[in-house]
Amino acid sequence: MSRVYLPLILTLLIVLQGAAVQLVPTSISEAGWIVVIHSVLLFLILLKLFYDLENTYYVLIFAILSGLIIDIIYTDIIGVYMFSYSILVFFVHGMRKVLHANFYVATMLTFVSIGVVDFLLYLIYQFIGVVRMDLTVYLSHRLMPTLIVNMILFFLFYLLLKKRLVKWSNERFDHKQSAH
Amino acid sequence: MSFFRRKRLFTILLALIVLVGLIGFSLTDREQRSTIEEFFQDTFGWMQQIVLTPVNYVSSFFSNIDSMIDMYDENQVLKENLGQYQKILYEVQELRKENQELMNLLDKTESIRDYTPIQATVIARSPEQWFKQVTIDKGKQDGVEKDMAVITAEGMIGKIQSASQFTSTVLLLNGFDRSNRIAVNVNLSEDDEDARGFILGYNEEHDKLLLEFTEYYEEIPEGAPVFSSGLGGVFPHGLEIGVIEELTTDQYGLTQIAYVEPSANVNDLRHVIVIDRDLETSTSADVSEEED
Repeated sequence: MSRVYLPLILTLLIVLQGAAVQLVPTSISEAGWIVVIHSVLLFLILLKLFYDLENTYYVLIFAILSGLIIDIIYTDIIGVYMFSYSILVFFVHGMRKVLHANFYVATMLTFVSIGVVDFLLYLIYQFIGVVRMDLTVYLSHRLMPTLIVNMILFFLFYLLLKKRLVKWSNERFDHKQSAH
Repeated sequence: MSFFRRKRLFTILLALIVLVGLIGFSLTDREQRSTIEEFFQDTFGWMQQIVLTPVNYVSSFFSNIDSMIDMYDENQVLKENLGQYQKILYEVQELRKENQELMNLLDKTESIRDYTPIQATVIARSPEQWFKQVTIDKGKQDGVEKDMAVITAEGMIGKIQSASQFTSTVLLLNGFDRSNRIAVNVNLSEDDEDARGFILGYNEEHDKLLLEFTEYYEEIPEGAPVFSSGLGGVFPHGLEIGVIEELTTDQYGLTQIAYVEPSANVNDLRHVIVIDRDLETSTSADVSEEED
């Protein structure tokens, strides 16, 4: 079933990102704070930790595809989200071999990943000239609120999805191994 | 799949090359989007319309409650205004008739004022807030083209950045830069002639639009309304853009500039109107040459 569910959830998350800005109160944006909700990346990290195996790369493919779609439908410049998301999933993939996937590891990895992804986006967009923003302003007005909101969202996702993902993973990959 | 494991560095380098290539591709000045982009844009636009309708319904419900609180006071003011509108309406009708007659006299049928409105609904907003863009539910099939002006009842909010078959992307006014100039007139009540200038883009520090005048004008009152002049070749004449907030000179003291407060709120958009100018529009390449 996960073959159907996972792409569906990802699609839904991408679609919902278009409405996410409306749910952020205007008082926050008027104060000059920028909150970017990386719900797709959160889901991808959870998938990598609890669904994908150490030697499978399904999530990397999901990351490339969903990054590409976000680039096309929400920004002008193709490749930035695609690159950042896939590099970070690749990083989590590497870390997974070293660390045991539990709640604390997941929290730490998510915190680092969201921070690095957002900073990568800032670096690339700054380099191209899409945005002109001082590093200090970026750190205090975008990175900090983004990290806070995304970590709250992460705990929510973790509670909702973790058990299901482990179940789907067992169903899918055990079945495959027994078939061999 | 073991390919990834053995050649990690190689993979990252390859990803970098792909990134640079794709960015280079999307930064080139393209007249049209590729078919793949249009396909994704339309499919996701369609899904957004389905999924976001309940979301928008809920959020508009709350804003409705908000506005109900002020309803009584607003109603009083509106009733007073209504009496005046009757008089203005009569005047407008007379003027319109007269204008029509004069135009007939001159055998002139088209004017840069005329446009066909295309009603559209905002279906999504970019989560990456550095891109000031929203998606609307009308595309090429409904007659929307690149560079058309987009307005709400309050005034101009932006222009069409790219059009797909069934959806299109709108670049909002606060994302305008020097490549999206608007030729404008500033209405001076005492003078007969309007002050002319260009909107150069959005100034992030002041949170205002930056207007540069082509000539030096002695007296421009603060609060003077700014309209599109239609001479840029893309937008029709007379779209309201905003009011002048502050008047200064540029850093060399040679040209007169002004900060313009946009009259429409670009942060809360539901229903917008795309403006299809009736008169032939020049291509954007011609415009930038003319303006330079």
